Amino acid sequence: MLQVDDLRKKFKSTTAVDGVNLYLNEGESVGLLGPNGAGKSTTISMISTLLRPTGGEIHFKGVDVLKKPEVIRPVLGVVPQEIALYEELTAIENMKFFGKTYGLSGENLKNKVAEVLELVGLTDRGKDRVKEFSGGMKRRINMAVALMHDPVLLIMDEPTVGIDPQSRNYILEMVRDLNKTKNMTILYTSHYMEEVERLCDRVYIMDHGQIIASGTQEELKSILSSEETLLIEVQEKSADFIKKLSVHPSIQQVVEANGGYKVITAKGEDLFSDIFNLAKSNQVKIRGVHVQTPTLEDVFLHMTGRKLRD
Amino acid sequence: MFTVFNLQWLRLKREPAIAVMFLVMSVLFVFFMAGTGGQKVLTVQTFSDDLSESQTEEWIDRLNETDAFVFEIQDRATIEKQIQMNQVAFALELNEDNYKYLVGQDSQFLMAANQHVEKVYRSHLKIAEVNKQFPDNEVIQKEFIGIESRSLEGVISNSEESSANVITGMTLYFSVFTILFGLMNIAVEKRSGTWDRLISTPLKKSQIYTGQLLHHFSIGILQIGICFFIFYQFFNYNFGTQYLSIVVSILAFVFAVVSLGMLIISIVRSPQQLQAVIPITATGMAMLGGAFWPLEIVSNNILLGLARITPIYFGMDALKGAILYNQGIGEILQPISILLLMGVLFMGMGLNLMESKK
Repeated sequence: MLQVDDLRKKFKSTTAVDGVNLYLNEGESVGLLGPNGAGKSTTISMISTLLRPTGGEIHFKGVDVLKKPEVIRPVLGVVPQEIALYEELTAIENMKFFGKTYGLSGENLKNKVAEVLELVGLTDRGKDRVKEFSGGMKRRINMAVALMHDPVLLIMDEPTVGIDPQSRNYILEMVRDLNKTKNMTILYTSHYMEEVERLCDRVYIMDHGQIIASGTQEELKSILSSEETLLIEVQEKSADFIKKLSVHPSIQQVVEANGGYKVITAKGEDLFSDIFNLAKSNQVKIRGVHVQTPTLEDVFLHMTGRKLRD
Repeated sequence: MFTVFNLQWLRLKREPAIAVMFLVMSVLFVFFMAGTGGQKVLTVQTFSDDLSESQTEEWIDRLNETDAFVFEIQDRATIEKQIQMNQVAFALELNEDNYKYLVGQDSQFLMAANQHVEKVYRSHLKIAEVNKQFPDNEVIQKEFIGIESRSLEGVISNSEESSANVITGMTLYFSVFTILFGLMNIAVEKRSGTWDRLISTPLKKSQIYTGQLLHHFSIGILQIGICFFIFYQFFNYNFGTQYLSIVVSILAFVFAVVSLGMLIISIVRSPQQLQAVIPITATGMAMLGGAFWPLEIVSNNILLGLARITPIYFGMDALKGAILYNQGIGEILQPISILLLMGVLFMGMGLNLMESKK
């Protein structure tokens, strides 16, 4: 359905996107995972025909959208990272306006507004001005506007940034529902790996403008099949301790984690005694050592040596 | 296009404060600066040390046979005090065969008042001379052959000129504010993401721009129209008979200002910067273009040259031509053409810069 080949974007001396290749099949939910500044937003801006690439091609159902943007625009829904709404207007007025830009009118438009408001759970707040909404509600209306015309392809750029867990959960459930029940094709970008893990069939991991890994979650995690992730919980962190850990011959990566350190080692290595000895010599008190199943975060760590939210 | 156009009206309806504020301010400024427009009569304080009270009153009656001035008797001490306090610019001292002025500061009205006083004195002295030669006959002044020569500009009084200057100047000045602050919406939309959201819809970019610009264009027209209507309807200001010329002048002026606004928002990046640039641009243009004072009092050639690159200068030129001198479209074609040319140039540059930023 959507095919992106060798997509590139240069801003003066900075290369934001450097030879990205990706594809989406109809009805798929695909994640674009990467840290801030990886080039995710620039990539989707080009796919949404908002930004002209420096090079590469984008085809939607076989048609070059760079030459014919009018082919993709009527069936494309874009949920931008920012709250792209007229805040002085009510939720209904915003939805009606954007509905009209897609040619909806009369009863059809009215019914659609009611339907989408119900979908985002804001039926009783439709007549309120957007500026009176909480962050989570604004995010939901931001999404509702993109759903007014029943898009075939929905592109979402970090739609849950800065909202409460309840609204976040609501949005994630809604996205999953749209994908499963309406067979909507979804391209979801985020730097929250747990969101991508929860929603997406396939994942592209992006860093420094390039796709560094892609595949299903299982395929990506299998990259770490020969490795093991240990979470060392300590009472107090120590710079010397992390230094010693990072030069240990059996340890591949060490990063600071919540309450301790995350360590990637080769599978089968017996590191426990070494870790306790190093801790003792650096006067670090260990509260626990856990062996973790790999996550996409670990895949990213393995491939870049950095955490997703660095 | 109309979807975007209507949306802008809806947004204005929800938050009309800025547009209403500039409309009210333009009416208030004109009201206080030009009074009730065209009805202003200059009062000349008058005294005499030589003449008796009845003689002075006779002169005052003769001098007051005009609608343009009111001559009021005062004593010398009061007048001198008023001149010292800058309460009056000049005063008239009457003598039997001549007159003098006490002048505290230069005034554009002194020359006009003097013309009238001179005419009255000359006429009275002539009759007095003839009476002296023919003491048995009563001589009255009667014009058997009257040659009236007056230039077109000569029939416009200073107060009319001044009122027209204030009314057109202030109205155009505040309309520039409204239009430029309104156009700031485009910069805000670009920053908030709604502009990009619109671009990703099936609407064409040209439709989005046209809808936006048409809205700001109509806001400008409406503001100037309402201002002029208020002065016509409630303050009895005389706009002459060349309504078509007035309408065409307003259309051309607003087009030039909307285009200038597009150029400014294509250069200035953030709405915060625009908030600083707009007052500087609007006030600078108004000062140079003659909205605050008549350009006749400006002698610096550089300033006069700069005035000719501002839409306000040509807008006022066209409007004053239509209002004061009843000029038809053919006669104000030059300022209108320049305004249209400015509009096309600014718009072309603005749109190109804006799009090239992408």
